[in-house]
Amino acid sequence: MTLGALTFGAPLLLIGLLALPIIWLLLRLTPPKPREEVFPPTRILEELGQREETPAKSPWWLTLLRLLMAAFVIFALSEPVWNAAEKSVTGSGPMLIVLDDGWTGGEDWNVRQDTARRVLNEAGSAGRPVALVFTSQGAKADLSAKRVEEWTAGLNAAQPNPIPVVLAPLAENLRTSAVSFETIVWLSGGLKSNDHEAFKTTLEAMTSSELQVYSPQSNPVALSNTRNSPEALTVDISRASSTNISDGIVTAYDSKGRSISSAPFKFDTSTLTTNAEFKLPVELRNEVVRLEVDNGSTAAGVQLLDERFRRRRVGLISGGNADQQQPLLSPLYYISRALEPFSELREASADNNIDAIKQLINERMATLVLADIGQLPTEAVEELEKWVNNGGMLIRFAGPRLARGDDGQLVPVTLRRGGRSLGGTLTWGEAQPLSSFENNSPFKGLEVPSDVTVSRQVLAEPDIDLAGKTWASLKDGTPLVTASQRGAGWIVLFHVTADASWSNLPLSGAFVDMLRRLVAVSNNVVASDQAREAVDEQVNEVQTLAPFQSLNGFGKLASPPSDARGLTVTNGKTPLVTKENPPGLYGAEDAFVAMNLFSTSPALDRITAADLPAQAVQLTYKTEDPMPFKPWLLGAALLLLALDCIAVLWMAGALKLGASRMAKTLGGLALAALLLQPESVIAQEKKDSFNFEHALRTRLAYVKTGISSLDEVSRKGMIGLTQFISSRTSLEPGEPVGLDISKDELSFYPLLYWPISASSPVPNQATMARINNFMKKGGSVLFDTRDQISGGFGSSRITAETQKLRQILSTLDIPALEPVPNNHVLTRAFYLLNVFPGRYLEGKLWVEASQSSENETDRPARPGDGVSSILITSNDFASAWATEPDGRSSFTIVPANPRQRVYAYRTGVNIVMYTLTGNYKSDQVHIPALLERLGQ
Amino acid sequence: MAIAIGTLQDKLTSNEVIARARARAALIPDLLVEAQHIANTVTSGWHGRKRRGSGDTFWQFRPYDQSEGLSRIDWRKSARDDSIYVRDQEWESAHTAWVWADSSPSMLYKSDSSDVSKQSRALVLALAMTEVLAKSGERVGWPGVTNALSHRNACERIAAQLMVSDTNDASLPLADQMRIRSEAVVFSDFLQPIEDTLEWINALSQRGVHGSIVQIIDPAEESFPFAGRTEFKDPETNRKFTFGRAETVAQDYRNLFAARKEELATQCRKLGWNYLTHHTDTLASTALVSLHMKLTGEAGIALT
Repeated sequence: MTLGALTFGAPLLLIGLLALPIIWLLLRLTPPKPREEVFPPTRILEELGQREETPAKSPWWLTLLRLLMAAFVIFALSEPVWNAAEKSVTGSGPMLIVLDDGWTGGEDWNVRQDTARRVLNEAGSAGRPVALVFTSQGAKADLSAKRVEEWTAGLNAAQPNPIPVVLAPLAENLRTSAVSFETIVWLSGGLKSNDHEAFKTTLEAMTSSELQVYSPQSNPVALSNTRNSPEALTVDISRASSTNISDGIVTAYDSKGRSISSAPFKFDTSTLTTNAEFKLPVELRNEVVRLEVDNGSTAAGVQLLDERFRRRRVGLISGGNADQQQPLLSPLYYISRALEPFSELREASADNNIDAIKQLINERMATLVLADIGQLPTEAVEELEKWVNNGGMLIRFAGPRLARGDDGQLVPVTLRRGGRSLGGTLTWGEAQPLSSFENNSPFKGLEVPSDVTVSRQVLAEPDIDLAGKTWASLKDGTPLVTASQRGAGWIVLFHVTADASWSNLPLSGAFVDMLRRLVAVSNNVVASDQAREAVDEQVNEVQTLAPFQSLNGFGKLASPPSDARGLTVTNGKTPLVTKENPPGLYGAEDAFVAMNLFSTSPALDRITAADLPAQAVQLTYKTEDPMPFKPWLLGAALLLLALDCIAVLWMAGALKLGASRMAKTLGGLALAALLLQPESVIAQEKKDSFNFEHALRTRLAYVKTGISSLDEVSRKGMIGLTQFISSRTSLEPGEPVGLDISKDELSFYPLLYWPISASSPVPNQATMARINNFMKKGGSVLFDTRDQISGGFGSSRITAETQKLRQILSTLDIPALEPVPNNHVLTRAFYLLNVFPGRYLEGKLWVEASQSSENETDRPARPGDGVSSILITSNDFASAWATEPDGRSSFTIVPANPRQRVYAYRTGVNIVMYTLTGNYKSDQVHIPALLERLGQ
Repeated sequence: MAIAIGTLQDKLTSNEVIARARARAALIPDLLVEAQHIANTVTSGWHGRKRRGSGDTFWQFRPYDQSEGLSRIDWRKSARDDSIYVRDQEWESAHTAWVWADSSPSMLYKSDSSDVSKQSRALVLALAMTEVLAKSGERVGWPGVTNALSHRNACERIAAQLMVSDTNDASLPLADQMRIRSEAVVFSDFLQPIEDTLEWINALSQRGVHGSIVQIIDPAEESFPFAGRTEFKDPETNRKFTFGRAETVAQDYRNLFAARKEELATQCRKLGWNYLTHHTDTLASTALVSLHMKLTGEAGIALT
């Protein structure tokens, strides 16, 4: 059953829709299950009596929901399909299907294949014998009608070919085989091939009773004729007639598939061709290997670029070999610097010029630069002439050697011997500025630099055609750059040196631009033939290149298909694209020739009714796939079921309860967030200001243990030490800070004083990780067990504080420790010390053991590269340093020796200096030697 | 399926409740029942009889009578002048109170707007009342479970007895232990037919018993928050009753419920009994305080 584009697979099931009213009645009548409530005063309710026994009806929308659900299920079961494939062919005799598998197939191959499959299936169900022919098969096509099954596999495996459609062989085949078909279905690519007429007459001659021609509505676009001019990389774009495509984008890709640039194109309403230009710097342009129309999927939408478009090799030969020692005097230096960004430079390794020239020519240079080379041996001249005639670009620079004499060969103009100097002390003339670039030169459009002056040059003999050969001239009219064409190549002469001795041209930006233009010219004029020449070197004229990579029917570069043959290149000309020679790259990896589907703009004409036999029926491919509605309908029914569940729950009150609770919770959360937010912002600000303040000044810092009395001692001790340091040294630390090591930023403090108390807890792992990080990043921690009086760190007695310290250190990455040796920097960082007393005298100060303690005992100060990240004492430094606000000391010294307190302060100073200056202090021992070396 | 508003809770035993009861009783000052007619018993209590007798409180000095024992002479007073005095104490006697809490199945109801079942609340209140009364020196009993006990820890004893006794599910306490001028404090939901309740009140009243009844009400029972098709089940009779749209009867129900309360209150007022309602979503101590005030007579001032 069919309703418009809607088809039902099982229309009988639609009778089920009649049941909907019954369902409606049932839904209206069946009450929902009552909610059960225990209710002690039910007796009172009973007194109220029975009323409204008819139950609450389902609300109308719920009924509607359920009816819809039922309707959806019934519809789904009847298997509706939108846009179902319909029968199209009639008759019962043998059928011929011609499937166009040319390049246009890349765009709509699935549709063509599906249509072919459908027609095949129809033929199969009608029991008709079928012949399935692909246009690319041509003369080899099997025209015998067979059972449908025999064609299916071939059809499924078929892919579009990146080749233009050629119908003549097939037409010939059809005519000669003289088979007759009742129905002919031509699944065309929509475009007229060059030999369309032949096929048309064949079709007319076959007198089948039914001829169907399918044409796609695709909008094929073809790229062609890529060319590289100095200004831009240009590609032509053609579109099919009567198409609605009017603009698009062509993207350039590099060898790794990255897009380099995009160029838009736009068709005028009347024209069928346009072009896109890539205005890229030459060096970027050289990277382009592929141009592709965006969203294109045909081989015609791709243009492959080969060596012709690549970065050219430039060979450099200099006359002066001895110049290598001082590069700025070497002429090649300026040339290399100017050319390096966009070309590949080669310098000959051979010593003499002949070998060098031969070597470079063999390396297939597109451009050769000869800097100040005078007389060349005849053999080299011949080589060079041959090369130039083949398309090489020879760029020569003048110089003393060239000025001394040349043989008149390989220069564009006849030169005067000698040369002239301008603007020197003994000359009349001024140094000449650059005047103009000629319009017929590659330098056209370059800005004439005003700061370039020429003080020496070689002069050309006045000649009738000198002006035509001049590309750039000086203000007095003498040529600066001359050029002449030899065969396919060019000889260009700069009348100055390539170094800065004759002019400052090589120092100017114009030099770079000029060389770039020259190389760009060599790119597109010379290199193509030159590359071919190079490839063809061994085989004369004709060469076969193996397929390297091929475009497939969808315009993707892939390994070549199995039936691809070698490409026979004759005189540098590639043959036409055929199935055996698909578009792609031929040759080896670094020397390949690109073959594109279209090298010149093709005419893409559509097949119209006039192009077809009179009995033909024109059809279009169905681009829309048939869409079965069943899953959607079932899904909608499920959705409605879910809605129904929610609605029932809601009506029963479960959701309302949940919702109100949720609303309360959400409200509470929002309120909490509102209340909390400003506070957290303030906290944030506070934190920031804290950090900045502490970063601005060096401060002593101590660890807050959480025991207030101990922290107070630490604070007073740090204040005392700060005062002592400020009065005795140039360091003036700020107010000491107590740090909560689990939270506070540690990175501002070079030294952390950490008194150990047996009763303070061991910090957690995260905190110790912070400490570890602090020590690793250059901070030092001074642990003070303060227990010297009861044993002390490092003695055989283990006190509670030492035990605690061990627990703390067990989580840290601690190096080997040693008591401060006599020659440690700590003993002389500011004061000379041999003991490190605090409140107690006896305890030793432990530091990281030096790596090389045994073999460098003779050095006056230990190198200690970097500062020991850990110092451990048991002498209770802070108590010794602690001072009250009125200047008194807070604690007495044990034993009560006032000198010991001074030493305690000195110890503090040394430790602070040590942590701040590191091995700078240890290097101070070399000062006498340094002064002596300075001759003081 | 829809979640019911009310549920039946497990029955709580007295030992679970006693700690809560004590906590609430501790909030109440020592309770002295203002008894209008204190039973003329010899049991010592703290109710002064405005005449001499055995007791702790000083009542009067009076001249010594020869018939009295020498030990009764108050020598300190007698030493002041020539007369010999005897110190009399005020005759103090105890009141008998019968406390009872309903634990029938209907009391196990708890709706989701209150935290405890009615039974739990009734038991807490009853035991708290017991504790308060016992601390005040009253004789306290639980009809059907104990006799009237005059002991400081009467509360524990009653609780212990409640644990072991097979408490029946009667909706009203037995009346046969209650004598004239004793006080009956009954905590129940009084949801049985109103005629039964009135009959019981009248019977007790005729025996000269003064009563205080506290109606424990779950908020859901009063506000009737039901809507939609609802099947109501009586926990005592297990009878079911279905309403198509419960919301339509809500107002009638509320009226009826209020009428029942009013009828009960009217009858109590007529007989001079105290009538209190207590909702389980309010604090137990509020009920205890208002009951306390009623029993000490202060509520009478509040009511007028």
